[in-house]
Amino acid sequence: MSGLETTITDFLKLTFLSMVPFVLASQGTMLGGRTGVFNVAQEGIMLVGASVGFLVSYTTGSNLIGALVAMAAGGLFGLVLAYFTTTLKMDQFVVGLALFFIGTGLSSLLPKLVIGITLTPPLVKTLPEIPIPLLSQIPIIGPVLFKQNILVYFSILLSIFLWYILFRTNMGLRLRSVGENPKASDALGINVVSNRYITSIIGGMLIGLAGAYLPMVYTGTFTDLMTKGRGWIAIALTFFGAWSPLPILIGSLFFAAIEVLSFRFQVGGSFIPYQFLSMLPYIATIIVMIFTFGKSRVPAFLGQNYDRERRTL
Amino acid sequence: MTQIKKFFPYLVSVLAAFLVVGVLLWALGFNPIKAYQTILFTSFRTPNGFVQTLLKWIPLTLTALAFTVPLSSGKFNIGAEGQMLVGAIGATAVGILFKDLPPALLLPLVILAGMLAGSFWGLIAAWLLYQFNINEILSTVLLNFISFALVDFVATGPWRDPAAGHPTTIPIGANGFLPVLVKNPPLHSGIILAVIVAIAVYIFTSKTTSGYELLVTGANPRASKVHGIDTRKMFLFSLVIGAAVAGLAGVIEAAGTHHRLIEGLHSNFPTLGLIIGLMARGKNQAVPFVAFFISILEVGGSAMQRTIMVPVQIVLIAEALILIFILLSDIIKRRQK
Repeated sequence: MSGLETTITDFLKLTFLSMVPFVLASQGTMLGGRTGVFNVAQEGIMLVGASVGFLVSYTTGSNLIGALVAMAAGGLFGLVLAYFTTTLKMDQFVVGLALFFIGTGLSSLLPKLVIGITLTPPLVKTLPEIPIPLLSQIPIIGPVLFKQNILVYFSILLSIFLWYILFRTNMGLRLRSVGENPKASDALGINVVSNRYITSIIGGMLIGLAGAYLPMVYTGTFTDLMTKGRGWIAIALTFFGAWSPLPILIGSLFFAAIEVLSFRFQVGGSFIPYQFLSMLPYIATIIVMIFTFGKSRVPAFLGQNYDRERRTL
Repeated sequence: MTQIKKFFPYLVSVLAAFLVVGVLLWALGFNPIKAYQTILFTSFRTPNGFVQTLLKWIPLTLTALAFTVPLSSGKFNIGAEGQMLVGAIGATAVGILFKDLPPALLLPLVILAGMLAGSFWGLIAAWLLYQFNINEILSTVLLNFISFALVDFVATGPWRDPAAGHPTTIPIGANGFLPVLVKNPPLHSGIILAVIVAIAVYIFTSKTTSGYELLVTGANPRASKVHGIDTRKMFLFSLVIGAAVAGLAGVIEAAGTHHRLIEGLHSNFPTLGLIIGLMARGKNQAVPFVAFFISILEVGGSAMQRTIMVPVQIVLIAEALILIFILLSDIIKRRQK
């Protein structure tokens, strides 16, 4: 293999690896948003997922159990969000921000209670690569697509699955209609409330899993605020992906590529101070928003609560 | 009587949150009564405790106002963190570059530079909202992360203090320091600036026409538009003013407390500022009082960590719970109507 080919393969492989938290968090955001629940607590939920996922895999020795508990914790946040907004009809941004604080606080409190303060960081095993027989032998595409950890495969399959559910099944049609016009959906006998609860909970689970990915793949341990804004970027990404599963998958690759590039340049050394390279993902996100906000299709009822007793929407 | 009635939900919310956290503390094997004694009374036991509380009150009030002033027009400024840091950068830069100017010139310049820098950081988000309709929550948060890198760049660049282990700049000129009000324990005059800003915001929002237009925009943007208020300009204006206030918080930390730029100088003030703003239900005039209460909890919380080893994050959980209970009390009130 030539040097250039190795570089490109490595870059693409890392990009697919780094895509996962973006895909999971953004699909979770999209799912809730499709029924009108606009979650803005991603950063906090991801931190809880990272913290809980790490602690549980550390104490049980199983990444699977850790990931499942992280999902459960995320789902709990989704449930609370749905309850406060859909049932109690509180402002979605206010509740989301409150959950963001609680998540951030909990994520840094829990390790101190469970493990305490140690000199060397406690580590969990990172997720192993699972090469797919034969396919992983293909040059470039093989290592990039078929020699990855299980959550890379999962996030790709999940995106396709969500596209199928949302756009090729009756259930998906009903679900989307709740986010577009809850009054009409309600009149047609679609249960607005249960649709909102279910998508919000599943969305929260995916966001929690996105958080658990960070200690389980990148660092092996939990550090305070380790999400570094990925939760907020996921919201922008969801707009970029027009609240649609497949464009979100593509968009995640774009944001992951920028993250990898920014990191590569910082490590590799260049004439630009590393601080400016570390700004890259955030600046890219703002630029992307300039080109997509206001142009991308958004669920009409996004961020609003539905009150069936009100006459107007 | 009505005053007491208004205050009642707050009291119940605080008590309920303390009860939940008390049970949590007890379950973790700490003595909740001892913990609460430390949390609530540290501020009033010693002069030092009280001054510490006032010193926390300054940035908390300012960062909370940075959130509530834009919220008056219905916009969420989550970027006080970045605006505060960029404000501190502006103040430090002027304080170092012109360190030989006399105090009568340097001090106002330092304050002005910081406030302008902070408001510039807010202007970016405001302009993105005005021009491209970009959600201000996202843009202000993203600008926070950019500001962290910016602080790191300034604090490790040519102005770096080589003697400090942590990224820190050399001190600004002594003429740019905020004058000290009380020598021992030391209290700087930042508190005067914070009081002035809090009063100015109160007068502006409750006694002036443009302040009224601001509140109306927040209450009903559509009706305001119909009645000839340029709501988009109101959004822009309120975000920039909020950012200037956050910038002032940065100035005070840089020129009053540390006399230099230190990485992490914003501490957790901006996050608490948001919590305070939400606890005050966005009411600008309630912010200073809520901020004082939270300052007491914060000073008490760190004392508690030192004396009985309870992790300080417990206090953050208590604060978040108080917020949730206050929000819940709104719903109960709505149901009773």
